[in-house]
Amino acid sequence: MDIKDFIAPFAVWKRAFEKPFTVKKPIDERPGAPRYRGFHINDADKCVGCGTCEAICMNRAIDLVPVEGRDAKEGDSGLRPRVDYGRCCWCALCVDICPSGSLNMSNEYVWIDSDPDVFRYTPGVEPKPWDGSALGYRRAEGYRLLDGTRVPMPELDHHEAVKSFLELVRGWSREQAEKEADRCVSCGLCIASCPAHMEIPGYIKAVRDGDLETGLRLLYQTNPFPEACGRICTHRCEEACSIGTDGDPVAIRWLKRYIADQVELADYSKALPRKEASSGKRVAIVGAGPGGLSAAYYLALLGHEVTVHEKDEAAGGMLRYGIPEYRLPYPALDKDIGYIESLGVKIERGAPVGEGRSLASLRERFDAVFLSTGLPAAYGLDVPGEKHPRVLDGVAVLAAATRGQVLGLGARVAVVGGGNVAMDAARTALRNGASVDILYRRREEDMPADPDEIREAKAEGARLVEKAIPLEVKDAGGKARFVWNEATMVQKEAGKRPVPEPIPGAIHEEIYDSVISAIGQGPELSYIAEADGVEIRRFKPVVDRDGLATAAGKAPVFAGGDLVNDRKDAISAIADGHRAASAIDRLLSGKGA
Amino acid sequence: MNTASFQETLDFAIGRERAAVEFYRELTGKAAFAAQKSALAEFMAMEEGHVAMLTGMKSRGAVNLSPGAAVDLGLARRLAAEEEPTAAMDFQDILVAAIKKEERSGDLYRSLVAAALDPDVKAIFERLEAEESRHKRYFEELYETQVARDN
Repeated sequence: MDIKDFIAPFAVWKRAFEKPFTVKKPIDERPGAPRYRGFHINDADKCVGCGTCEAICMNRAIDLVPVEGRDAKEGDSGLRPRVDYGRCCWCALCVDICPSGSLNMSNEYVWIDSDPDVFRYTPGVEPKPWDGSALGYRRAEGYRLLDGTRVPMPELDHHEAVKSFLELVRGWSREQAEKEADRCVSCGLCIASCPAHMEIPGYIKAVRDGDLETGLRLLYQTNPFPEACGRICTHRCEEACSIGTDGDPVAIRWLKRYIADQVELADYSKALPRKEASSGKRVAIVGAGPGGLSAAYYLALLGHEVTVHEKDEAAGGMLRYGIPEYRLPYPALDKDIGYIESLGVKIERGAPVGEGRSLASLRERFDAVFLSTGLPAAYGLDVPGEKHPRVLDGVAVLAAATRGQVLGLGARVAVVGGGNVAMDAARTALRNGASVDILYRRREEDMPADPDEIREAKAEGARLVEKAIPLEVKDAGGKARFVWNEATMVQKEAGKRPVPEPIPGAIHEEIYDSVISAIGQGPELSYIAEADGVEIRRFKPVVDRDGLATAAGKAPVFAGGDLVNDRKDAISAIADGHRAASAIDRLLSGKGA
Repeated sequence: MNTASFQETLDFAIGRERAAVEFYRELTGKAAFAAQKSALAEFMAMEEGHVAMLTGMKSRGAVNLSPGAAVDLGLARRLAAEEEPTAAMDFQDILVAAIKKEERSGDLYRSLVAAALDPDVKAIFERLEAEESRHKRYFEELYETQVARDN
């Protein structure tokens, strides 16, 4: 040992009086670079709790957690991401993938605390000093891990489309469908918004994997009308799609159609479950629309003998008689119905329930009855002159078109109303060579019709006359002189939608060959007698959450579909039918309703 | 306001509500099936409630009605002129009949307000008119949400 070795340890003492190299908190602030990947920030209002950040995080540093004051709603799980900085590697994949763009990173990187638990926190929910930081990592402009643009759907050119009743939407190829399916992040927000709670991420994955039999099986778990719903569903699921928060939502409806179109009816039985052994129970269904046939399918699957009583000469209800074939071709509908019938469901066509075949008699002959008779009766315009022979009912016009009857609408047609029946009637009239005005009492944005239908009706040449309050129909040499009052929208009460207020003196009139009324539809309930014991309130059977209307007396009566629910679309009717089928099965098998 | 004219005014209003009960009873007589009867029974029960309410006010000697008229949706004016509902009446027919009936009642009270000399009687008629406007509004909203959904 030499002398230096002896003295050296004492030499460090001089350092004791110098500035230390480690400090509790940096004395000199060193801000992170402008795009530094620091602590997370999240716009909790913009975030929809889809969990894509959680799914992509390889370190499992993110959990979706419930937060106080934020409930689940359509298109929002109510959950928000909580980040664990013991696990986070600051890779920022969560930011890059975030569909809504709500999740970002501040450039703050200093956070000192003696409690290790605080380093797990929910950005945007638990306040932090870096909230609202303008600097930090953001997804670069134009850079997206997700494809925000939908694969274009081949459609007939509108000028061509209007010349025939050929299907407008042509469908995707395998390559196109798989590309579209690739856009789905499987967040599942869509499931809650679908009235039938279809297993949407599952069947989209099946498209991606090219496993269409699995896709078909998943479709039929809750919906035996994939061909129909793949074309005309109101697709609320797409409104909830997290990809739609900052791009085009995944085209869920078209992917459903793709699966159903690709599998031949003859191959359905290979993919779909077999029916159970006969239960010996018999169920009567009134109405062969989507609600009635949905109930029929699930009841048949459970081994019950099902007879459907249908007043029209063909099954399908409004899917057949209310939706034109350019939107839903009859072979596609027949495929759905064909599979339901293949399970042994008996459909008695042209067999209305009413006189001679009363509800009471069905209750005696069957073990349960399900009513799903929809809203077949069009409401009138209720203006003077509404009985003019050229004032037609929109539902009847569409039914006549289905039956192939000559419509004789003439060259100029007015359609009054803003719902899907009005749009379908207008487009049917266009295909019959008429020029069409759609007159609606409110504004375009208030129209209850599917926006796609409105857009297509206009693209095909229909003229939309907004804020037109019907006043009267007068005769004009056999034609109809339609008189309306131009309106202005007035916000009369806070929180309520604006009211169309007539502008004094702004009276317009036009002569039309036909005026088609499509202001709304009601039920046909004359077949339910007081003695049946079905409680009816405001022309709707009152049902419990299973759809049970009455269990008193003979066989229990259930009801569903447009007849009962307020949503008035096929998928809600299908969901009602499924729910009622489950309840009927529980009741008949003694498991309790 | 003297007691006699208060009683007379209330008796008049009660008479109007009783007439409304009879109106629905008459329609029920025409009804052919359960859905019609149920809707009419509901509306008749509402009118019976109004009879009871006004009778109570009469016995208490005070009119306890809000003076605020409901917002006029303007629907009643545009609906087709009276047409007696038939045995085939649907919900639209029943609601239109109800709206027109309330409109007639409102019109009557409005004319009584204009004709009344006694300010206290006038004030009661004003409140009754406002009450009828609320009834009309109730049925108009039902019409908008249940019947003219697509218009």
